[in-house]
Amino acid sequence: MTPADFCRFPAPLPYGQAVDLQKRLVQLRIANRIPDTFLLLQHPPVITLGRRGRREHLLTTEDRLQQAGIELHHAARGGDVTYHAPGQWVLYPILKLSARQMGTHGYLHALESVAINTAKASGIEAFRREGMAGAWCEQGKFAAVGFAFTRWVSWHGLSINVNLDLNGFDLIVGCGLVNQPVTSLQNALPGNTELDLDAVGDEITRQVETVFNRNLQRRSPDQLFN
Amino acid sequence: MNLPQDLKYTETHEWVRVEDNLLRVGITDFAQSQLADLTFVDLPSVDTDVDAGDEVAVIESVKAASDIYAPVSGTIVEVNEALLSAPEAINNDPFGEGWLFVIKPADTSDAENLLDPSAYQELIPAE
Repeated sequence: MTPADFCRFPAPLPYGQAVDLQKRLVQLRIANRIPDTFLLLQHPPVITLGRRGRREHLLTTEDRLQQAGIELHHAARGGDVTYHAPGQWVLYPILKLSARQMGTHGYLHALESVAINTAKASGIEAFRREGMAGAWCEQGKFAAVGFAFTRWVSWHGLSINVNLDLNGFDLIVGCGLVNQPVTSLQNALPGNTELDLDAVGDEITRQVETVFNRNLQRRSPDQLFN
Repeated sequence: MNLPQDLKYTETHEWVRVEDNLLRVGITDFAQSQLADLTFVDLPSVDTDVDAGDEVAVIESVKAASDIYAPVSGTIVEVNEALLSAPEAINNDPFGEGWLFVIKPADTSDAENLLDPSAYQELIPAE
C-alpha cells in the first residue's frame, strides 16, 4: 500500500485557516515535497458558496449570519452552497490525481464510499442516489461532496453530518437541491441517539485507509510540513 | 486515447495548435476523460494579458472544479463562447469544437518549448 499522511485536528479549525492550510499543502504536493495527505477536521459554524453557489440559495442576510456567529465564505470548490459546524466531520484529501489515475468519477465515488461505509458501520442503511452526488439514508442527505483540482491535485472534499445542529441548514438550499431534506447520522439512528464523534472519526480514518488503499501515517498538525 | 500528432502539449494536460502567429488551446482527451461530464466553463475575457502558467479558465464537472493554465505568455484574443451553454463539447470533441481559447503569444518561439506528442504520452498512463 502506498503511504499517505493523515492528520486529525483536535479542535474546530476556522474555515479561512483551513483554506490557507490546504493551499500550502497543494503547492507542496504539486512540487512532490509531501506525500498525498488527508485532513480530518471540524469547522466552527460557516456557510460556504461553491464556484456556482447561487446567492438565492442563501435564505438569510449576511447581517443575520453575523449576528448568529456564522461566517460566510466563497470557496473555489465545485458544487453549490453548504453548511459546516462542530459535530460534522470534514475530510480534505490532498491527492495527486495523475498519480492515482482514478478520474473525478472514481474520486467522487471513493468519497461517497467513505461516507456510506462510515454510516453502515453505525448500523445505518446508506446509499447513493442517481444523478445526485453525496451520500443519503432514508431520512435524507447526510454527506456532501465538493472538490477542486489545482494542477491535478485535489483539495476541498467531503463533509459527513454526525451530531451537528441541523438548524444551520435551514439558512440555505443545501447543494442547491430544493426540497431535499438534510439529515445527520444522529437523526438516522432510532431514538435520535447521539454518536461518539471521536469513534466516528476513527471509522472515517479506517474507511479512508480501505477505500483509497493507503497506509496512513498519523501526523499532528504541526508535523504536516516536516 | 486520442493524441493528435500535429499538436503541442503541456504537463497540465492542455493541447496547443499553432495557427500562423496564434495558438489555439484546449484540454486533452485524457484530461476530459479524467474530469468526466463537464457542466460548466468559466472563460477568460478577450484582451486579457496572461503569463505562462496563469490560471485563465475553470472547468467544472458534477462536483469538481479544475483550473486551466495559459501555456505561454501573451494576450487572449478569442474564447469559445459556445462552451458557456454547451460545455459537453469538451467531452465530445476535445481537440475540435471543445477548444477553449486562442492566445497571441508575446514571443512566437515560446510554443516550441512545449511538449511534443511523445513527451506528453509519457505523462499519461498506458491504456
